[in-house]
Amino acid sequence: MSTYKIPVGPLHVALEEPMFFKVEVEGETVVGLDITAGHAHRGIEYLVAKRNIHQNIVLTERICSLCSNSHPFSYCMALERIAGIVVPERVEYLRVVADEIKRIASHLFNVAITAHLVGFDSLFMHVMEIREIMQDTKESIFGNRMDLGANCIGGVRYDLDAEGRGYLLAQLDKLKAPLAEVRALYETNGSFLRRTKGVGVLPRAEAIRLGLVGPVARASGVDYDVRRKAPYVVYDKLSFDVQTLPDGDVWSRTMIRLREAIESIRIIEQCMRDMPEGPTTIDKTPEIPAGESIAKSEAPRGELIYYLRTDGSDKPERLKWRVPSYNNWKGLQVMLTGAKVADIALVVGSIDPCISCTER
Amino acid sequence: MSDSLSLLFAVLVFPGGLFALVLGLAIKGVDRRVAARLQRRVGPPLLQPFFDLIKLSRKETMVPAQASAFIFRWVPLVGLSAMALAAAMIPINGVYQPSTELGDLLALFYLLAVPAVVLMLAGSASGSPFGAIGFSREMAIMLAYEGPVLLALLSVAIRVGVGEGHLISLSLSDIVAYQIAHGPFLLDPWMWPALLTFLCFFPANLGVLPFDIPEAETEVLEGPLLEYSGPSLGLFKMMSAVKCVVVLGLGITLFLPGGPDGIAGLLVFAVKCTVLAVLGVTVVRTAMGRMRIDQAFYFFLKWPAALGIASLVIVLARS
Repeated sequence: MSTYKIPVGPLHVALEEPMFFKVEVEGETVVGLDITAGHAHRGIEYLVAKRNIHQNIVLTERICSLCSNSHPFSYCMALERIAGIVVPERVEYLRVVADEIKRIASHLFNVAITAHLVGFDSLFMHVMEIREIMQDTKESIFGNRMDLGANCIGGVRYDLDAEGRGYLLAQLDKLKAPLAEVRALYETNGSFLRRTKGVGVLPRAEAIRLGLVGPVARASGVDYDVRRKAPYVVYDKLSFDVQTLPDGDVWSRTMIRLREAIESIRIIEQCMRDMPEGPTTIDKTPEIPAGESIAKSEAPRGELIYYLRTDGSDKPERLKWRVPSYNNWKGLQVMLTGAKVADIALVVGSIDPCISCTER
Repeated sequence: MSDSLSLLFAVLVFPGGLFALVLGLAIKGVDRRVAARLQRRVGPPLLQPFFDLIKLSRKETMVPAQASAFIFRWVPLVGLSAMALAAAMIPINGVYQPSTELGDLLALFYLLAVPAVVLMLAGSASGSPFGAIGFSREMAIMLAYEGPVLLALLSVAIRVGVGEGHLISLSLSDIVAYQIAHGPFLLDPWMWPALLTFLCFFPANLGVLPFDIPEAETEVLEGPLLEYSGPSLGLFKMMSAVKCVVVLGLGITLFLPGGPDGIAGLLVFAVKCTVLAVLGVTVVRTAMGRMRIDQAFYFFLKWPAALGIASLVIVLARS
């Protein structure tokens, strides 16, 4: 049988962001794959060096939408490390809360999209409706549905009083029952399992060889979570389970995200219980000396690394970040070889690629 | 002369052509609204399919440079004409009886394959790789469902034929008349395997979930229809609306043809079509995801084929 090439992207209904695959197919089977990047490049690494450290909190928040809290969070941690700022304990808890709320919303978004990609639109609508609880929560607490604007150097820009805590807990309670119901659906629904079990398999050895991170790696049985391996803020005081599954297929990756969303609820509830009283920011304007530092955090898509070098001026000399999608992207070569044309979008969606993070 | 005039009227105005088009679009409107309500959405207005068609008719048909323009432009019209003719074959009890040479079950069955062939031609003529994939998928799924559904149709034809004292009856009017006399097949449990086979054929032939594989939006971007725009796309929409009525009408003819005379009969027919569409299409398509082409292929060779054979055996054994 002769092979021919089909273009997937750069603008494709099944991809949320511009990404271009030249897929070589033989009948319905993928035999070759060429990934072309660079459609969402906005020159943010350059822009960062032109703005002062405070403006960059706003800028890094706009690198991407679904992990918009992880970027300024890691950036602030890197800055605080250079300046030797110790943030109040309450701030650390509040940062965890903001990050986990974003994680739930991000994971549910991907889980919904996966249902859409197998053509199960009712399930897609249902999960998006559940996710709306989290969107409402974000809007009520932070004033925004996507960009939380939660972080500043040495603190956070929001606080949770008794009313806020009660509201947040009530919202999480509202989320629990439908989330359990959806989890059961994804575990048992025939028409979902039929399309996702054994599809786009990434073996554990390959996941380790290619250095994959986040839910994609954990779905292949790699027990790696920055929150556990290199705890930052108060994650070492919180109890949560790092979810792993052995199979490494699309279904496992979806289930990992659902389970992590459920774990995140647990984490936020512990934060509400253990959060001490105290200031929400340091009370002086920070002085940032010359220096360099690295900060790591677990973004919804996996390990996010920030490298920052300052020269004592108010602008960073160099800010460089490595996003999880950059690693996971490589896994696609393995997952898509031998896949069916019908599964291309599904497999690509299953690594939850964040193109605007990767290409910034 | 009057014969050919009445035939022309039947194909172009009633019950084919205009009537089937309006009914088909209305059913699509209901389908979209009910699907939306099942998904807790508001949904489009009931007349949305009409609005879409009007909008498309005002636009320009873009012919891709690599397409073979003649086939690309004219093939949707072939599909629509075939469906208009097929709609003229469907009897509406108490209102319309197709002439004997027109109302033939096998001819109708072959006409029903035309839209699929048209989509294949359109897909390959568009010169797009997605059209080509759509082509191969359409062919695969057609091969899979044609066999089982033919068995179901034959079961009905043989049942009626034997009941009337000869081997097989392929006349749609006879099938209707037999059921009026002896009760609809819908209420006869021995005919349920044939009914189930037909219900499986239904979403596959109409190209809706879980069998909208050739046109899967998230996989092959509407496949054969990808390059179509404007009035040409409108013709495809009209074709699928009329086809919807033909397939629903065929189902009604085969299993529940009764109805009163006159305008009331027309209303009963429309209501039966709508109910069948909601139960057989809307509910099914909102309740599950899409199959992969290989899965759909094996599905048809497994369940509907088995049911079709069972149905034929039952009918032969009981005659």
